[in-house]
Amino acid sequence: MGRYILKRFWYGVVVIFGVTIIVFIVTRLVGDPVQVMLPLEATLEQRAAFEKQLGLDRPIAVQFVDFLGDIARLDFGDSLWQHRPAMEIVVEKLPLTLELAFIGIGLAFLLSIPLGIIAALRPGGLSDRGTVFVSLIGLSVPQFWLGLLLIVVFAVQLRWLPTSGIATPAHIILPAITLALPALARMVMIVRSSMIDELNQQYVKTGYAKGLPFFRVVGLHAMRNAALPVVTLGGWELIRAIAGYSVVVETVFAWPGLGLTAIQAIEREDLILLQAIVFTVAITVVLINILMDVIYTIIDPRLRLT
Amino acid sequence: MKKTGTILQAVFVLALAVVLTVAANAQEVTIALGSEPTTLDPQLREDGGERAVNDNIYETLMARTPDGQLIPGLAAAPPKLVDPQSWEIKLRPGIKFHDETPLNAEAVVFSVKRIIDPQFNSEQISFFNTIKDARKVDDLTVQIITDGPDPILPSRLYWMKMVPPAYAQAPRFAEAPVGTGPYKFVQWNRGESILLEVNNDYWGEKPAIKTVKYRFVEEPGTRLAGLMAGEFDVITNLLPEFTQQVPQAIHIQGLEHPIIILNADGGPTQDVRVRQALNYAVDKEALAEGLFEKYAQIAQGQLLSPSFFGFNKEVGPYPYDPEKAKTLLQEAGAAGATVELIGTSGRWLKDRELVEAVAGYWEAVGIKPKVRIFEFNEYLNRLFDRKTRADAIFVVSSNELLDADKSFSAYYRAGGIGSSNSDADLAALIDKARSETDVDRRAALYHKAVKHAHEQAYFTWLLNIEDIYGVSARLEWPARVDAKILVQEMRLKK
Repeated sequence: MGRYILKRFWYGVVVIFGVTIIVFIVTRLVGDPVQVMLPLEATLEQRAAFEKQLGLDRPIAVQFVDFLGDIARLDFGDSLWQHRPAMEIVVEKLPLTLELAFIGIGLAFLLSIPLGIIAALRPGGLSDRGTVFVSLIGLSVPQFWLGLLLIVVFAVQLRWLPTSGIATPAHIILPAITLALPALARMVMIVRSSMIDELNQQYVKTGYAKGLPFFRVVGLHAMRNAALPVVTLGGWELIRAIAGYSVVVETVFAWPGLGLTAIQAIEREDLILLQAIVFTVAITVVLINILMDVIYTIIDPRLRLT
Repeated sequence: MKKTGTILQAVFVLALAVVLTVAANAQEVTIALGSEPTTLDPQLREDGGERAVNDNIYETLMARTPDGQLIPGLAAAPPKLVDPQSWEIKLRPGIKFHDETPLNAEAVVFSVKRIIDPQFNSEQISFFNTIKDARKVDDLTVQIITDGPDPILPSRLYWMKMVPPAYAQAPRFAEAPVGTGPYKFVQWNRGESILLEVNNDYWGEKPAIKTVKYRFVEEPGTRLAGLMAGEFDVITNLLPEFTQQVPQAIHIQGLEHPIIILNADGGPTQDVRVRQALNYAVDKEALAEGLFEKYAQIAQGQLLSPSFFGFNKEVGPYPYDPEKAKTLLQEAGAAGATVELIGTSGRWLKDRELVEAVAGYWEAVGIKPKVRIFEFNEYLNRLFDRKTRADAIFVVSSNELLDADKSFSAYYRAGGIGSSNSDADLAALIDKARSETDVDRRAALYHKAVKHAHEQAYFTWLLNIEDIYGVSARLEWPARVDAKILVQEMRLKK
């Protein structure tokens, strides 16, 4: 078990290293922060001075060696846009993104299990077809549009909830739902299909035959066997929420987490901040993956041998 | 089941609490900005969010009326020239910073020296790079020394915020600002909001609004929703399409001028008749109406608005005359010529749409426009390319000092960062105007430059885009031509 996790950990280090190098190369190939950050009318001398100040006039190899040193020290330098340590900004924003992702995906996870089981109990029945239909809608709706729709209905028309921001606990409701709905749709489908598979197994019939109550058969035995794909997808959804969907949801709801910060850093060509964000997100993803591996072995002890 | 009931109840109570807080703030105005300030040091960054907040906390020696006229602010009278390189400024007596520090000659000298200090490395330095020094004459008199005659100094002073000498050196200064203005800083919740309250000891007219809250919302659709939901009183950069939906849309002459720079040094646009034809060909009125729902003025054949210094009211737009354009192109032998038109997308309001519409008008008079829309960085490479100039480059010029010098130096003057001509006469006029301290003579030089460039048609002048604010029904606010959002000019309707 320990060796297994250690191995996964080393894979993770390789992944993080690879991702940060790609970001270094791509940002330097594509963008030129000097042009974007200065006013259009700035003179050539002002541009040259600014480039020097940012250290972007040095050969790319020198910058790269510097960059490797930065990774080792976990210090990427000052954000070009905010002029304070990039890691300080990331540490400030990351909890907000994690909070949103865990609540949103947690909600999707908790709801997907009962909904998926209900649908699986009678495949082709009314509740099943209803669930599949709603899931399809959830899968097809663009998250950006969904968020704005929820704002228009619940904040502008009904005025039950605020449109944006983080001032009170109520502020997380709409963004969390926006994040949860498409994930819920995907997870319900997985719960449904794995439960249908399990419910057709012999042991389920045996369970009923020996007089076990419904909740024990379905909730304990079948669910435990169906759990592996569900947990896998849940972890995957969590990762996608942190590393991807948060960008959209945080922008729509002015939720000042890492996703919104990433968009702002890209708009302002803030290479330093972008590197710090990608690096941190990569670490988070690797950690969640390791956590998922541990959870697998708890659900299915057979996996401990491998 | 019981549990879901409790959760629902909790949600309902929370929602109610939010609704109540929104309704309770009768004397509070909430302003939604597109970006959060990166600092609240008023002298350090070029940052729209910072400026929007600090314009209410800090003040400048010179100020402007809502329609753009330069008037004394903290100064008692306009600066007087004592010799060609020294301006003398008398201060209003009895003004204090929010921390009780007096606003005197020491504070002004400190503020000037701080912002021009190369060590301080201010991003605003391009506004002040002619200033060499400042010295105290007596307690309420200061002299500012420039490195040559600088007629724009009074306008520059309208951009320089005065800071309290002792506190400005404290580390807290960038997070908890202290100025002389009508509002005092209260609180900054990073990522969420900034709170200001009225300064009861303010030297000028007492503002009507007691507290101000700034919120930071990047997405325009969300800003609009917040206004519609009653959470915000003012939102910036409202799209022209949404002006009908909001409680009030306030529009006013803005700072942005979209133009097309024509290459006078090569290609088909080298012939002045072709450049004039490219002006006659475009129906500016239709552009203002079709793309901006009339929230744009037609540019008066110059890169200046009527309220800017240097505006020549004798020069007007080229009329829309496609027949004349065709004739001119025939005469120049340029009918059917290919003109490359460079633009970008998503940087400025309707940038791509404008370029495509203009290309359509050019095509209608017999030019083959080759429209090339680039990603912003790539676009900038072409705009700043001094060796090979594209035939036509779309750009939006923004002019905060409301003075011809900045945009003319960049686009009109030969060798300027975005200019496409090598007209030595025009360059001489602009250079001369930069150091002419006599106001009337300086204006005359710009009038000449405007007329000359207009005849030579170095640009296809298009529009002056208006700023549009979405405003709640309860608020009265005239808005300003310099795009500052001054809460002291706002009032709640009775």
